[in-house]
Amino acid sequence: MTDFTKTVRKLCDASVKDYVNPYSYLDWPESMDLEQWFTSPELISLYGTDTFEGLTEAQRKKLSFFEAVNFFSLNINGERALVQGLAERLYRKGNDAITSYLHHFLDEENKHMVYFGGFCTKYAGKTYPDKKVVFPQEYEPGERDFLFFAKVLVFEEIVDVYNVAMSRDERLVPLARKINLLHHRDEARHLVFGRQIVKDLFSVYAPQWSDEIKQRVRDYLKTYLAVAWKEYYNPEVYRDSGLAEPYEIHETAFQSARAREHRKRVSKGCVTYLLENNILDEEPVL
Amino acid sequence: MKTETEIREALRSWIANTNGKVQPEQLSDETPIIEQRIITSLQVMDLIFFIEKLSDRSIDVESLKVGVFRNINAIYDNFFQD
Repeated sequence: MTDFTKTVRKLCDASVKDYVNPYSYLDWPESMDLEQWFTSPELISLYGTDTFEGLTEAQRKKLSFFEAVNFFSLNINGERALVQGLAERLYRKGNDAITSYLHHFLDEENKHMVYFGGFCTKYAGKTYPDKKVVFPQEYEPGERDFLFFAKVLVFEEIVDVYNVAMSRDERLVPLARKINLLHHRDEARHLVFGRQIVKDLFSVYAPQWSDEIKQRVRDYLKTYLAVAWKEYYNPEVYRDSGLAEPYEIHETAFQSARAREHRKRVSKGCVTYLLENNILDEEPVL
Repeated sequence: MKTETEIREALRSWIANTNGKVQPEQLSDETPIIEQRIITSLQVMDLIFFIEKLSDRSIDVESLKVGVFRNINAIYDNFFQD
């Protein structure tokens, strides 16, 4: 049995042990008072900007609500694509070793959307739509699979840093804390799986790719990292929070030195992993 | 409110700036920016934010038709013409 097969077996056992019913596990208040914290203030996209400094406590809390709706929405949007990709890979030839875990992965991602979607629709009456566009493209052998799992890794590692911080933040509304905690519990397993499969796929396929293809893959991944972060600075959030000039706020906040430092710090875990395994050959500009 | 010329120039500058290797004067209104990989699919999300800012309208990505980002002409026709 290979190390990876052993890891997959352990992860399956842990998923069975940690199984929860998403419909009975959480208590959902009928309505939500928006004068509470839903996102840790330090994780709000505008934290540290002049705009944020100029807001009253009540305005900051309202902003924290729409930031939570955005965070949960971008999770839903990421998970919709993830579920499609996982389903496509179930029982595919050559995937015998991972199929048993893909069942858990799919199940858990669907449950996350139940929590996230439940919060967004019940309290905000909507989710924020995905702005990503995918154009058809031809791939080299292994490139599509590798990029699929590498994007999952990047997305989930960043999200998990937020989940961990917010699951411990006692200032937050209990429901928001608990959703972050539940997500982190499953994600901890997904991250182990993600790191392993990304490393394995790269070591199998990269030697078959030309230098030009390797560069294309690395450039794509670096751009994906930057783009994934853009979604955290959503102009619609600022508009819904009652702020004027939402697109100017979006640009100023994204380009601020403090925000760059924040993105670098939060991305450090996954960037270091990708660099250490020669998947990336230089730090991405975030 | 920006004029049609100003909008086209703003789009041209944004595309050149995002690509980093082409100059604005190398981009005509018909240059196929996606086909020539001047803008990648990942960068289109950023382009959408930029178009929303210029047009002051939100874009419903799920209802977009194929080819709306093909070139500056297509972008102007699809997002700035009433």
